[in-house]
Amino acid sequence: MALTRELSAETRQVNGENTSRVVVSAAADKELVDSLRRGEEASYESLVRSFGPQVLAITRRYLKSEADAADCFQETFIAVFKGIDTYAGQSSLRQWVRGIAINQSLMALRKRKRAREESIEHMMPLFDDSGSRVESAGEHQRSSIEAEIDTASLKVSVRQGIDKLPDDFRVVLLLRDIDGLNTRETAAILGIELNAVKTRLHRARTALRYILQPVFGASKS
Amino acid sequence: MMLTCKEFDDFMVDYLGDGLPVWQKYMCWLHVKMCRECAHFVREYKRTIDLGKAAFDDQGDQVPDSVPEELIRAALAHRKNN
Repeated sequence: MALTRELSAETRQVNGENTSRVVVSAAADKELVDSLRRGEEASYESLVRSFGPQVLAITRRYLKSEADAADCFQETFIAVFKGIDTYAGQSSLRQWVRGIAINQSLMALRKRKRAREESIEHMMPLFDDSGSRVESAGEHQRSSIEAEIDTASLKVSVRQGIDKLPDDFRVVLLLRDIDGLNTRETAAILGIELNAVKTRLHRARTALRYILQPVFGASKS
Repeated sequence: MMLTCKEFDDFMVDYLGDGLPVWQKYMCWLHVKMCRECAHFVREYKRTIDLGKAAFDDQGDQVPDSVPEELIRAALAHRKNN
């Protein structure tokens, strides 16, 4: 299902100004896949060097530990090498590898012994008996992150904020908001109900908003 | 009848996506127009989503320029051994 989404993204790209780049990329993909299927040693190295940075970024994003990310990096390429005969070319090779990296990261997360995670309940909005919102943005307990205004450190603050979320919520937020899967695709990959995806996504975004209050405060001034 | 803040909150994900029938979307829109607190919440909620996306922009600083050589070697060696 994720591959279908990636294919449509590519179709949109083909209709835009990047047509020639996509065509060139498709030809390069075919050449690389053919040589991988022929078992040419150099093609394996070429694949790892070309797609390695993106795969490492994905495994680091899902697995907070550098050691886990490195293990998952290897598992991803093993899965790619083993599965290359099943690559049907419906999406770009890069997107296909990306999907495998996400799946491998999720499998690693499931296997990993879960560390004790902080509840996000106190980060949820409050409502009175009539259902009216009673919180106001200024009343939050400020989190420990500093208010950052330049882009690079803001990105770091946001990533740190996401890392603070419990895995069940963090993973849904990454799949939906960062990797761009839709609700149905996210439910399928995690094996949970659609409503559970929506609830976890809402709670993750709400908790992250709470964590980022110092950032919002800084950008207002 | 106007939605309460709590009811609106329950619809938030669908309201900001495309998952609501037109009339429900209208009810949510109306609530946001009438409720200053929820309007404020929605602004920050949307900004949170945008910040999340920007923080992990694959074209940005998250993708390393290269992968440590030992990782590449290990992945290739792992293939040979399997």
